[in-house]
Amino acid sequence: MPDWTQPVLDRIRNLGLSPAREADIADELASHLEERYRELLARGLPAAEAERAALEELESGDALASRLRATRQPLAREPMPLGSTRKGNLMESFWHDLKVAIRMLAQRPAFSLAVAGMLAIGVAGNAAIFSVFNAMFLRPLPFPGADRLVDLDETAPKWNLTRVGISNPDYDAWQKGNKTFESMAFADTGGGANLATPDGGSERIKLAAVTKDMLHVLGLKPLIGRDIQAEDDRPKAPAVLLLGYDLWQRQFHGDRNVAGLIVKLSGRPHTVIGVLPREAVLPPNVDAWVPLAADVTDGGSYHLGGTGRLKPGVTIGQAKADLTRIHFSRQENAGRITSPVVFPARDRYVSDFKIVTRILLGAVAVVLLIACVNIAGLMLVRGEGRSREIAIRTAIGASRGRIARQLITEGFVLAAAGGICGVALGKVFLTGLASLMPDDLPKWIRFDFDGRFALFCIAITALAGVLFSLAPVLQASALDTRGWLQEAARNTFGKGRRAMLGTLVTGEVALSLVLLSGCGLILQAFQKVMHENPGFRPDHVLTFSLRPSPVKYPKPEQRLSFYQSLLDRLRALPGVRDASAATIVPLDGHSGWFYRAEGGRQFGANEQTPVVLQVTVLPGYLKTMGIRLASGRDFDERDNRLDAPKVVMINETFARFYWGTTDVVGKRVAWAGNGPTGPDWFQVIGVFKDMRHYGLDEAIRPEVFASIAVTGGAFTFAVRTDTDPHTIVSATRQEIQRLDPNLPMFNVRTMTERLDRSLWTRRAYSWLFAAFAAVAILLAAAGIYGVISFGVSQRTREIGIRMALGARPGQVLSRVLWQGMLLVAAGVAIGLTVSQLTARLLTTLLFGVSTRDLATYAGVILGVALVGLVANFVPARRAARIHPVEALRSE
Amino acid sequence: MSNQSIDRDLKKGSAELLILSLLESRQRHGYEISKLIESRSDGAVRFRVASLYPLLYRLEDRGYLQGRWVEKAGERRKRYYRLTPAGRKVLAERRSGWAAFVEAIRRITSAEHA
Repeated sequence: MPDWTQPVLDRIRNLGLSPAREADIADELASHLEERYRELLARGLPAAEAERAALEELESGDALASRLRATRQPLAREPMPLGSTRKGNLMESFWHDLKVAIRMLAQRPAFSLAVAGMLAIGVAGNAAIFSVFNAMFLRPLPFPGADRLVDLDETAPKWNLTRVGISNPDYDAWQKGNKTFESMAFADTGGGANLATPDGGSERIKLAAVTKDMLHVLGLKPLIGRDIQAEDDRPKAPAVLLLGYDLWQRQFHGDRNVAGLIVKLSGRPHTVIGVLPREAVLPPNVDAWVPLAADVTDGGSYHLGGTGRLKPGVTIGQAKADLTRIHFSRQENAGRITSPVVFPARDRYVSDFKIVTRILLGAVAVVLLIACVNIAGLMLVRGEGRSREIAIRTAIGASRGRIARQLITEGFVLAAAGGICGVALGKVFLTGLASLMPDDLPKWIRFDFDGRFALFCIAITALAGVLFSLAPVLQASALDTRGWLQEAARNTFGKGRRAMLGTLVTGEVALSLVLLSGCGLILQAFQKVMHENPGFRPDHVLTFSLRPSPVKYPKPEQRLSFYQSLLDRLRALPGVRDASAATIVPLDGHSGWFYRAEGGRQFGANEQTPVVLQVTVLPGYLKTMGIRLASGRDFDERDNRLDAPKVVMINETFARFYWGTTDVVGKRVAWAGNGPTGPDWFQVIGVFKDMRHYGLDEAIRPEVFASIAVTGGAFTFAVRTDTDPHTIVSATRQEIQRLDPNLPMFNVRTMTERLDRSLWTRRAYSWLFAAFAAVAILLAAAGIYGVISFGVSQRTREIGIRMALGARPGQVLSRVLWQGMLLVAAGVAIGLTVSQLTARLLTTLLFGVSTRDLATYAGVILGVALVGLVANFVPARRAARIHPVEALRSE
Repeated sequence: MSNQSIDRDLKKGSAELLILSLLESRQRHGYEISKLIESRSDGAVRFRVASLYPLLYRLEDRGYLQGRWVEKAGERRKRYYRLTPAGRKVLAERRSGWAAFVEAIRRITSAEHA
């Protein structure tokens, strides 16, 4: 008898089995070979041939070993093909899965397109809103070490102002005394000048008056020429100028020999010392820098903004504490009215958008979620269609992990397709969005795509992929093959899976209800704002600003007489009804003063003192701007002289606040604080109706219209026309040039345009929200329709039997409808509960609309119910039309 | 589903089904199983040692089978396999899956001649 054990042992020696196991296997296989040998002998084979044939059973030793090895692997893994390494097998099966997935998806183009399309919509919204968020809040400012740059300011809660600006002595003390900053610089950005351009014309430019270290703080160097030096930055120093990059390109055509050039700003010669690099985007939207050259002993006003570079490792809190210490050690600040504040550098420009962009991000996330829920539903429904395939694969030995991997690969192929389309669509969406934005956004806000954006898109796409692959995978892995096959054979739908689809529909309805109710509230607020009476008549009013050169018109009388002659000429133009001027027209800014009222309310030392908006206006302004007089009279020619008695008009808020009544004509007001000869009283000659100077959705402050005798200023002109105000722009420009050829007209806007601009953000987010809500409800409707239709098609036989047994079509219809509407009702109930919690986040945007606004909720619920009804009705009617005989025959 | 993966699942699944079926009524040892497969299929299906035993060990590892050594005087000891309850359940599943599969194939192939 041959030795059968040794040949077996030779072949399994390298498997690393335990000696006992090795012996067992050798024994068992040897016993097999022996029996085979005996059998072959019994058939009459010669001994040698029988032995060879028996040993053939072992095939090659490698094959046996590798198969045995495979049995020692973890159970879930597939046996490996001969001669392959484990890694190769995984890669191979990935490519295999991918190929299969793409083929499967290509076989169902409608399904694949629906999924990819829905995902694309969800991703597009997220991509666009995220790039806005990214540009405003995440992308670093274009300076080296931008994370250490901070914004400096002073705050004055007592004046009800969060930012008042920094005074000269304060900035000087901070700069000299701090221990936490590497450097700091300050700027007055309120200035502008008329630049005499090389072509002989003139352009109004915006100036930042900066302290010498500004460029250094930002970590930048001049592109051409030199930086501002200490000797430039002191009072009475020779006037110098750093051109901004854009102005240099625009007016000097990028001339590299521009340094040393003398240019005239409002008639005064300035030497160009250099050109700012393109990255010098702070302070934003200025055309050139001049030295601040401040008298640091003059604490008269708070007008500066600051930028600081923190020492490494210093926190904003430490910096603030440091400045606060210095600030209150100064005698002048003992009254503790203002105190220093330190913010991240970008805060000043984007903090208004913080809440809005976050809420919008939340809204688009909900849209994406609804899209995912819809897709999950579609995948589930399709999973049903594939149940036979999956059951058979499982029955013939495919492991559950294997099938899950296939389903996940399919999910991710769809997600990738949807994601890529979504980003492309998002780009289009973003371009549209950006074109709607006001042109005065800071230049550092750029909406390009970057690495952070790519990461975000990949992350949400992958997340979406996981979300909607999950349902079918769970479905497949919870699979009981036998039950499944029977079910599939019967062609009806499992109870568990029907419940899962029902949950998806309910969730979808709930999510869209949350979004719709938020949208309803926001639109309600928008309506309320739009119907707010501005207190002035914005239609048919053209406004523009002029800044006559102090060199050409050194005396106030000369300037007044210039204004007077211009207004006379404008009033004589055809189509012009009225013309006047004010230092600040509505929606154009703020100038805060403190007032006292004779015989009116007094303020204690620690009481909050209201900041009063003070505007100097020329006669006829109320009529031109359409502001209504409550009592008294408007300014007229009597008040239009510098030496006329000092008179003012006040708004109703001022009158009520100080005197508690609007019947105050004849009473007197004065600036807070006594002059050397006691208060300088101004008589109130008129009270005008409140108007929304700061915007339709902004609070009204006490307001004073001062006559030219009270105080002068630089004017913005208002012209009321009979026709489209744009038609008189060129005639107006001609009149100005006739009076002064070198005086540029700037800030040219109709009041309607100003009003539109002031509502830009609100309008934009209201419509965005509405668009998202519309997409959400459409997606939800598609989801409801899809799920109910599928349910009906799955239950064709059941419905057929019911009808064969005597159910009337009406009963079938109402039964299907009822089942569908039950899901919708559950969704509405959940959505209502959730929206009560989320609506609170919107409070700041709602302009007084209650977060429980009944009309809004009633409308939204009705809308959702209607959409749900329609989406349910179509499949329900189809169910009612099922012909029993045909339904049964279809089996 | 690609041909390749069907083929792979099919071979593996059918082999397992065959073994589980043969052990349903009584316990058997490896040689007996291979003989039965060969004889009942009239020699159309044959498992060699190199494929049969790895399969048996895998089914045992999964808990579908349980093997035990039986010694008889004058003979080599033999390892007998019997179906566990888990194995019985899987067998039932595989059987109906297989029936559905065969039925599906039948419908497809016979449709051409209908």
